[in-house]
Amino acid sequence: MSRYLRLLRIFTGATLSAQLEYRANFVGALLASLGEVGVALLGLGIVFGQPGITSVGGWSFREALLVTGFFMLTEGVISVFIQPNMSKIADAIRTGSMDFTLLKPIDAQFGVSTRHLNVLRAPDLLIGLGLIAYAASGLTVTPLGALGAALLYASAVVIVYCIWLALSTTAFWFVKTQNVAELFNGVFGAARFPVSAFPLPVRAFLTFVVPVAFITTVPAQAMTGELAWGVALASPVVAAALFVVTRLFWLRAVGSYTSASS
Amino acid sequence: MAEYRAEVVIWMLSGTLSLVMMLVWMAQAQAAPGGQIRGYDAAGFATYFLSTWLVSQLLVVWVAWELDFEIRQGTLSAKLLRPLDPMWTHYASHVAERLVRLVPMLVLVTAFALLSGARFTTEWWAYPAALGLAALGFTARFLYEYAIGLLAFWTESSTSFQELAWLVYAALGGMFAPLDFYPAWVQGVAVWTPFPYMLGLPAQLLAGKAGPEDALRGALVMLGWLVVFWFLRLAVWRAGLKKYGAVGA
Repeated sequence: MSRYLRLLRIFTGATLSAQLEYRANFVGALLASLGEVGVALLGLGIVFGQPGITSVGGWSFREALLVTGFFMLTEGVISVFIQPNMSKIADAIRTGSMDFTLLKPIDAQFGVSTRHLNVLRAPDLLIGLGLIAYAASGLTVTPLGALGAALLYASAVVIVYCIWLALSTTAFWFVKTQNVAELFNGVFGAARFPVSAFPLPVRAFLTFVVPVAFITTVPAQAMTGELAWGVALASPVVAAALFVVTRLFWLRAVGSYTSASS
Repeated sequence: MAEYRAEVVIWMLSGTLSLVMMLVWMAQAQAAPGGQIRGYDAAGFATYFLSTWLVSQLLVVWVAWELDFEIRQGTLSAKLLRPLDPMWTHYASHVAERLVRLVPMLVLVTAFALLSGARFTTEWWAYPAALGLAALGFTARFLYEYAIGLLAFWTESSTSFQELAWLVYAALGGMFAPLDFYPAWVQGVAVWTPFPYMLGLPAQLLAGKAGPEDALRGALVMLGWLVVFWFLRLAVWRAGLKKYGAVGA
């Protein structure tokens, strides 16, 4: 365990020093972050800007803003921690450099999941946390609610990681996976609104087929104290189940890997 | 382009913002007293947003990404030896992709329309008018995105500028809501930009909410912008080539 923690520190240090060499890129990453938050806030702002509209799917503006905060935070988690690693899996398989990862005396899934970081997108994390703090300051949030939200958000991150890993693992058979990631981003875009803002069949799709509801709506509900116990328990269960399934899928994929040249 | 048929369908499905907004507005309209917001009922919203989705599919441009890659990798050098401005190859491949996109697009729109209850206009002239405006809008967007992509000669963040340009296009074009839902001062700014005429107006034509005189005025405005973007692209291209030669490529 301590060996894995030490490796994490080394990986982080290595990517940090590699990225800080290109300082001009920071401007670009900042523009992209502003674009993301702009889209999220505009969508919400225009809906609430209409005369007579005070709630979206039963959520007040502050509460819906909380969901947008969790959405931006998740965008940040994806662009800082998940996507930089996952997008390299397909390349590693195509060029055969996956061999090196598999030969190392550490767990290969840990290796491919933690090697890279995109620190330039860290502003997304700050914007997300800032939005959550701003929205929460206008609502009554109990310490228990905040704790529950933090725990449920941890399951949400596991869910996001598992979906990305499962999609990227298909590269062992399909070689190219950027498009699948695009498709996930498209569906995930729905998470900027509370799931109850959608018509009923879509709500079911976003909860049971692609569990987007657990990523942003459920932690926000925990914070406002409107979460049903059943849903609160379902989120970690879904996360754990997804983790086991993707782990098995990953092991199977690695088992069928035959290197690039053979 | 026909080689990438499966990918074209995935790209189409990943542009979901107008579909997400459609579902939110439809649910809002159903919950509103009287079942409508500013004269749009659920079916009205479905019609408007499916139309914007359709038009935005015709306006997709990715040339900034390709230019960023070509300039950074130096593959542009070989293209400069040809006796034709490389812009035309990019333009042709974008147009070809539109043709591949057409059939799956119509199938999806029909399916979405049946599911959501959208009703498109029965006036025949609205279709060629919307298509013509979309063609002008696509060319305008292609030209300004080309100019943004050429910024890769100077900066490494050209694709981020392109993302910001997309945000302005989506916001002022009316992808979040019909333009008359926006605050008055935003509408006042938007009419001076090309965006409402390239996205919102063709969508309103398909939805039967705009007349032939709107289409004509929009076409004239777009032609004016085309001239502006044409010279803008040319100026950035000439300046960029000087800079490119200067680094010895």
